[in-house]
Amino acid sequence: MIRQDFGDQLVELEQELLRMGALVEDQLRAAVRSLTERNSQAAREVIDDDDRVDAMEMDIERRCLTLLALQQPLARDLRIVSTALKIITDLERMADHATDIARVTLVLENQVFVKPLVDIPEMARLASSMVRLALNAYVHRSTDEAATMIRLDDDVDHLYSAVFRDLIEVMREHPQAVDQGTHLLFVANYIERVADHATNIGEWVIFMVTGERKEVEY
Amino acid sequence: MMAPTVRCDQLSVWYGRHPALKSVSLSVQAGEVLALIGPSGCGKSTLLRAINRLLDEVAHIRIAGNVWVDDEDIYQKGVDVTTLRRRVGMVFQTPNPFPFTIFNNVAYGLRLTGKRTQSELRRVVEASLTKAALWDEVRGKLARPALSLSGGQQQRLCIARALAVEPTVLLMDEPTASLDPLSTARIEDLMGQLKGQYTIMMVTHNLRQAARVADRTAFFAKGELVEVGLTRQIFTAPSDRRTEEYLTGRYES
Repeated sequence: MIRQDFGDQLVELEQELLRMGALVEDQLRAAVRSLTERNSQAAREVIDDDDRVDAMEMDIERRCLTLLALQQPLARDLRIVSTALKIITDLERMADHATDIARVTLVLENQVFVKPLVDIPEMARLASSMVRLALNAYVHRSTDEAATMIRLDDDVDHLYSAVFRDLIEVMREHPQAVDQGTHLLFVANYIERVADHATNIGEWVIFMVTGERKEVEY
Repeated sequence: MMAPTVRCDQLSVWYGRHPALKSVSLSVQAGEVLALIGPSGCGKSTLLRAINRLLDEVAHIRIAGNVWVDDEDIYQKGVDVTTLRRRVGMVFQTPNPFPFTIFNNVAYGLRLTGKRTQSELRRVVEASLTKAALWDEVRGKLARPALSLSGGQQQRLCIARALAVEPTVLLMDEPTASLDPLSTARIEDLMGQLKGQYTIMMVTHNLRQAARVADRTAFFAKGELVEVGLTRQIFTAPSDRRTEEYLTGRYES
């Protein structure tokens, strides 16, 4: 009976994690869309949603601590719960980055972009799909899925380098756009950080399944 | 690394035709606490009993392989079992003090050796009770019956009785199974103090106790030693699927 109860609580924990992940994914997409469309209202909603993410983080943290205290899980069960604790920290940081991007939207709301945003939305699309894949890997307890997801970080890094070069070029050609270009550089950096956090989650999933903590080479 | 105090080499035990231990090879280092865990009937208590030859009197028993304690092959002919049991003390699940005074319980084994003066007895009794973390509670009450002590105190008295004859190894068979959480915590603290001076092998069904107390943990199933390793490793990331299933409550024997 006790094991059954523990199993049920693990399932609930996973569902909450998936909900939190879905919210963070939405936030990231919405933040970048608010930027491309220069939609301040949408940006403010992203910023407001950060409180929901924080509340979910605290709720999941409480669930994990309760499971640790009352069920005292061992071995794989212990790794599952401790991995959940690590994942929520990464998700919360990602949400902070989405908020940072939304704040850039508010700064640039009345500006015309010197060059249309192409690579930044693509980076965001990749990074948010990494978030989803990372959480799927957690739920499926799949090292293969985690490793496949981690490889996408390379694509994000390449795009980041391209964005960086482009923006430097734009700022050289249009000195009046240095302010805008710097903000957009920050945005690209925030998205790159989101992908790094997704990579962390993938590495924790591999630890959860194998019991070995190591950085994945990719 | 120091030489092992206890070493089993391909130790097998049968009760009649039933194999209770299957070719177990295991070394226990001097001064370490080794926990033996596993489902009921897995052979862990049989192993413990094999180490001070408590199985000798069991009907239809057959033992194969070797056990060394302090470099002595204890199943060789001519081994003095009484001397062996002085070197290898045993503490059981239920405290079993003799129906004597507290003093006489601890002095019992010393008197068996015959040649102790009263003052020497007093010195060893005090030292043993101190080591067993009971002295402060019983000083001035040594003439009282041992059975007047609480369960937790009785268990520490039994540990003092075992320590009095200067063993090198302590075998503990679920030493806190009948104790409340406070007495359990005192015994666990005591094991922490005794380790280093004594080699301790403990059978326990309390996994958290093994996790708290033991340097290394050995998991047994169906008479086999499945794996042995650092407690930290076994309880967070065991290498065998059966250990994983047992620790997460999913093992089916």
